Amino acid sequence: MDRNELLNEIIRQVIAEMGATADVGAVKRAVAETLGASDNKEYTDLTSKESKGQPGLKNPEDMDALLRMKSKTPARIGVGRAGGRLTTKSLLTLRADHAAAKDAVFMDVNEDLLKRLGMFTVQTKCVDKNQFLTRPDLGRTFSDEALNELRSKCKMNPQVQIYASDGLSSTAIEANLENILPAITDGLKSKGISVGTPFFVKYGRVATEDIIAETLSAEVVCVLLGERPGLATAESMSAYIAYKATVGMPEARRTVVSNIHKDGIAAVEAGAYIADLIEKILKAQKSGVELQS
Amino acid sequence: MKCILSVGIDIGTSTTQVIFSQLGMDNTSSFFTVPKISIVSKEIIYKGDIYTTPLRTSVMIDGEAVREIVAAEYKKAGFTPSEVDTGAVIITGESARKENSEEVLRYLSSFAGEFVVSTAGPDMESVIAGKGSGAAQYSSDESCAVVNLDIGGGTTNVAVFDDGESVSVGCLDIGGRLIRFDNNNVITYISESAAIAAREAGVSVSVGDTAVVSDLEKICDVYAEALKQFLGVTENNGLCDKFRTPGSSDFVVNKRLRAVCFSGGVADFIYGSERDKLKFQDIGVLLGEAIVRSGLCSPFKLIGAAETIRATVIGAGTYTTSVSGSTIDYSEGLFPLKNIPVFKLSDEEQSRCFSGDDRFLAERFSWYLSQNDCRNAVLAMDGQTNPSYMAVKTLAKTIARALTTVLPQGEAIMIVLRHDMAKILGRLLREEVKDRPVVSIDSVIVQQGDYIDMGKPLMEGMVIPVIVKTLIFG
Repeated sequence: MDRNELLNEIIRQVIAEMGATADVGAVKRAVAETLGASDNKEYTDLTSKESKGQPGLKNPEDMDALLRMKSKTPARIGVGRAGGRLTTKSLLTLRADHAAAKDAVFMDVNEDLLKRLGMFTVQTKCVDKNQFLTRPDLGRTFSDEALNELRSKCKMNPQVQIYASDGLSSTAIEANLENILPAITDGLKSKGISVGTPFFVKYGRVATEDIIAETLSAEVVCVLLGERPGLATAESMSAYIAYKATVGMPEARRTVVSNIHKDGIAAVEAGAYIADLIEKILKAQKSGVELQS
Repeated sequence: MKCILSVGIDIGTSTTQVIFSQLGMDNTSSFFTVPKISIVSKEIIYKGDIYTTPLRTSVMIDGEAVREIVAAEYKKAGFTPSEVDTGAVIITGESARKENSEEVLRYLSSFAGEFVVSTAGPDMESVIAGKGSGAAQYSSDESCAVVNLDIGGGTTNVAVFDDGESVSVGCLDIGGRLIRFDNNNVITYISESAAIAAREAGVSVSVGDTAVVSDLEKICDVYAEALKQFLGVTENNGLCDKFRTPGSSDFVVNKRLRAVCFSGGVADFIYGSERDKLKFQDIGVLLGEAIVRSGLCSPFKLIGAAETIRATVIGAGTYTTSVSGSTIDYSEGLFPLKNIPVFKLSDEEQSRCFSGDDRFLAERFSWYLSQNDCRNAVLAMDGQTNPSYMAVKTLAKTIARALTTVLPQGEAIMIVLRHDMAKILGRLLREEVKDRPVVSIDSVIVQQGDYIDMGKPLMEGMVIPVIVKTLIFG
């Protein structure tokens, strides 16, 4: 039975159960209208900004005002409801966003990207994703072999050491790294600041930068790290920058630039800003809260 | 928070005024993100007296007397021109049509402070008055469309704001001082517009007659009817077109107006009442009463104005300055830059630049310069929200190649973008162009034909104060 016949059959049964007679065609048209579906219609990406910008609420008092409110927040307002529940579209969008968030956490960063950017990979003491998620302590420590590899492959004593790490979102690295990395490094080079060898840390947390700064004797260290995804975006990256970082130093010594993604600050613009910021940190010889005051 | 001092000077048809305000700037973004500097507070700290605009002849402003008024107000307020960071001098209504208005304006703006800019034109005036009156704020707070009517001595400036943004402007030659009389109520002046209104009203008035209140009321009823037609309250039979100010925009409203707000000197007789109908020796009181009587307000909610007679001067002093985005790039020592014409690329033209077509850009840019007879212009475009590094690099190369061939030696390359990408573009441009200054700012919305003023960088050089003007002199 093809889809059409199946649908006809269902409609007939429902009508029969209701003990009524009705025009099958009319019911089908009404159903199609409600679902907004037809076979040759292109499916929209539910997680896209355009799709989320469409209010689900039917007949709002002031459509313009609703659209304006929606444009000011990623929160799911004006989505409408079906009785006491979410509409099908709202539910599917939520699930799609949740799936994107899970993917961001559990996927690995595409190796072709790292190859293209000339980055080699070192791994923390974590052996897999599950351990990375359940053992934060291992996510900020390296084996001796890993540290030796860093020493042998990287330029020692750079003014600035930049590297990337998956953190909690591989998607963030894939979305931003290719654009932010050259924006920072070219910017620093044009200021005459020496930049170390870039690499990638798998299963890494923020504090890996303390060990790395010590190991490579970097004056300033900057890690580009994928942030824990939410339902608004899975692509958010942050840069954690520290002057003469040491293991066990207070968190307040880190300067953070967060919210780097396509709906936050664009990766290239953030890169240009970070290059200036690192120059400022080198000049001030301090970072984090101390830099601000 | 850093405060800057801003001055507003308005030379209107009937009055000249000066105000000072303090604009507070602060980083509104969190500790953990890229800074975002915004104007967070606006406080009026000095309101000057209201002076009659001094005229030398009926077609000439007395520039020297205006300068004396302004100088005296600076002294009374306790400020010197060198302390003033920003602001605007605006010449409005009939004063803008005097023979020496442009000269007076330019002279005053250089006297008033280094980055005090000059503006004129009925459209600009309408927007400024609507911001000063509080109509723009109301429309933003209530998220609705509001119309502001600034009824001064010579003109009525109309502006519609929707969610705080001006969406439509217009101007009519309707005002309180278009008929004037002396102490004995003998008519001394009838403007062209008032003569038309008298004909429409079927009354005869001439200079030398004694003013008859009932006749003047009929003339004011015609004006009120014209305003009703202008706003679409009653059907337009062409009456309002007879009073349209030359050089003003087509007034089109395609939104339902929720509220109406009045400013300008006549507004005081709409919101309040005055027993002496011929006070001020003009038709101001009668015009206000005629508007109330006409029922113009009945389809709308009538909202109170934060400022009436001072709306324009406060708008000029408080609402003209905005700030650029906080991640920008520029060469030192260039500012202030005043009255730079804007050449804006369309989306299609912009994508040709992103794809590297420098010859096309050079052609368009040099055409614009020759059309407008100027040495340099701001190159404006929307930009992209999340461009790739390679795309920005290509764009920088394209702009560098095109503009260095077109611009005379030493002229700066100036870029204004809407989307946040000015810092990276500016830096890449400076790498391409070593022998001339570069300015690249963003988060500024401009249109083709606008003029832009850029002040000295503020807040540790993170932002540049910007004034965008629609028209200087038509």
